Amino acid sequence: MGIKFFLSILLGKLILFTTNVLNIGGGSAAPGYYALKLYPELVSKLAKQIPKAIVITGTNGKTTTSKMLGHFISSQGLKVLRNTTGSNLERGIASALISNVNLFNLKLNFDTAIWETDEAAFNSVAPKLSPDIIVFLNVFRDQLDRYGEVDSIVSKWCETAKKLKKDTKIILNGDDAGLLSLEACFKGKIQTFGVSRFKIKGEKNLTTSAKKLDFEAKNIEVYGLEGTKFEVEDKTGKWGVSLSIPGIYHVYDFMASFAVTQTLKLAPSAIINSFKTFAPAFGRVEKFKLPTGKEAYIFLIKNPVGATQVFQTIKPELKKEDRLLIALNDNFADGTDVSWIWDANFEIFQNSSRAESRNYQIFCSGTRAEELALRLKYSGVNLHSITTKNSIEDALKDSQTGLNGRLFILPTYTALLSLQKILVNQGIKERYWKQ
Amino acid sequence: MKLIIGYLYHDLMNIYGDIGNIIALQKRAEWRGIEAEVKYISIGDSLKTGEVDIFFFGGGQDLSQELVAKDLTKGKGKVIKSEVEKGVPLLSICGGYQLLGDYYQPFDKPKLKGVGLFPAYTNASNDRMIGNIVIQTSVISRQSSDLVGFENHSGKTKLKKGAKPLGQVLKGFGNNGEDRTEGCIYKNAVGCYIHGSLLPKNPRLTDWLLQKALEKKYKKDVVLEPLNNEIELKAHNKAISKFG
Repeated sequence: MGIKFFLSILLGKLILFTTNVLNIGGGSAAPGYYALKLYPELVSKLAKQIPKAIVITGTNGKTTTSKMLGHFISSQGLKVLRNTTGSNLERGIASALISNVNLFNLKLNFDTAIWETDEAAFNSVAPKLSPDIIVFLNVFRDQLDRYGEVDSIVSKWCETAKKLKKDTKIILNGDDAGLLSLEACFKGKIQTFGVSRFKIKGEKNLTTSAKKLDFEAKNIEVYGLEGTKFEVEDKTGKWGVSLSIPGIYHVYDFMASFAVTQTLKLAPSAIINSFKTFAPAFGRVEKFKLPTGKEAYIFLIKNPVGATQVFQTIKPELKKEDRLLIALNDNFADGTDVSWIWDANFEIFQNSSRAESRNYQIFCSGTRAEELALRLKYSGVNLHSITTKNSIEDALKDSQTGLNGRLFILPTYTALLSLQKILVNQGIKERYWKQ
Repeated sequence: MKLIIGYLYHDLMNIYGDIGNIIALQKRAEWRGIEAEVKYISIGDSLKTGEVDIFFFGGGQDLSQELVAKDLTKGKGKVIKSEVEKGVPLLSICGGYQLLGDYYQPFDKPKLKGVGLFPAYTNASNDRMIGNIVIQTSVISRQSSDLVGFENHSGKTKLKKGAKPLGQVLKGFGNNGEDRTEGCIYKNAVGCYIHGSLLPKNPRLTDWLLQKALEKKYKKDVVLEPLNNEIELKAHNKAISKFG
């Protein structure tokens, strides 16, 4: 047992302890970051202690899928470790390991690890995690300023897949044509999941007729903000599911998690039953009460496809007394390029020309609120319904003044973090990293 | 009045929100009572002389660029070039701009032949030039003005002797990160590296393209009805202020 190995864990634990005592943040990156500087092999050395490892990557849905899968597996009495709060670079994984390893015997007492990894970090991190199962959720344009181009993301995944052990199992979204090229990169078993009729297509169109999916969501019925009902089918049977979170994109997250549980040979009906007690991930679909007693919802938006899916989910629910607060930041974690908002379908919110009285108010906020207001103007939203305030705190306050309906808040990632802080300070919500 | 906007290779060259440029052209025409129709022209489609009043050609990924370069050699490139010679305005960004020059030389693949409209050529480089960009231009109006947006490219474009740059880089990389030039202008055709989207927050350039298109089509001087640009200029100024 190297002394550096021990010291790196000790250092990580000290940083974690300090950030917790001082209450200066989730402590999800710093402990791992410094420990890795001291001992670069930390992750592979610790991770291999856990018997089963599942790695999840893709543009959208990583956090929700990991959380759902963690919920399913632990509902079956297994101990699950995962990197939480969306910290999906190697340092985030290292932090999760450090925080949970026993300092005296350096042991990790878990049955399964679920690692959510960033699309780019996946290639360097996944091999260190010796995964039993890898899930590819989808590939969409997202923060191209950081990742380069969509094709190059998939070709790098391909290179990584070529080096995998043959008994690794790959589960991928069979409705995303951009992912299907991975099939040629891996000799082992690949299974697909997807949905019928309500398909979310990828950046590329399926050229050949879609293949038979191994896990398919059928007979989907959409119940607005209440959620979705469908049947999940695989070669062994068919089960009814009532998903209490809205959005077809969450059906995909469910299907991905379900496919993993079946690969792990967990009982399907017990898994589906356990969903009743599932709470969505931070900011993915959150519902809370404002001090005035009015209802508010938070939906994270971060890239064109994800944002458009959120718009499609909430638009049929919007009434004229409801309001929208959209917050666009251009910090590093959001992507410094705001071009993506021009690819997102804001036209969904355009006002009908004849019924101006039916327009709901839209508040634009964040560091690039002006660009957002411009996007809304060019998508046909009436200028009278747009208010621009850079400060999220001010926008949140103004949007509640005279509010008679519900407030729908759509923040980008760092805007969500600011929003969370404000809500905590106002006593409306608990700190997310305690969840 | 009516304008046809020819959206070249919309399905292959549409990365980084370049669709915003089409939206801006269409809206600013419609707000002035000018009908604007988008005609999508992609691989295998035909393109005839006089069919399009403004061309738009966006950026794409390497693989798309190969397919498009090949398609351009099958006649479309020639038509685009001769239309521009006659004064039809065109806006091309990033990948589209590169393919309208003499050639684009990728890293590890054969050279892609360009249309030869802009006197310029592009070689792939190891540097990825990413970030906000501001340039100063005096070619679209008598007073010089700023254009602002976001660039993300690894190709380095060099202008040949006598070529006219679109403007001078104030912040960012521009054509190649070396000579402070950005883009190229030839007759009423503009090529550049500015995404962001470019036209919505640079309405002067949008209006310049619309005006040139109307003048060419209706063979008379055109003065566009002024629009309220308050929101456009706020977004423009905010983007510039990001440089501190």
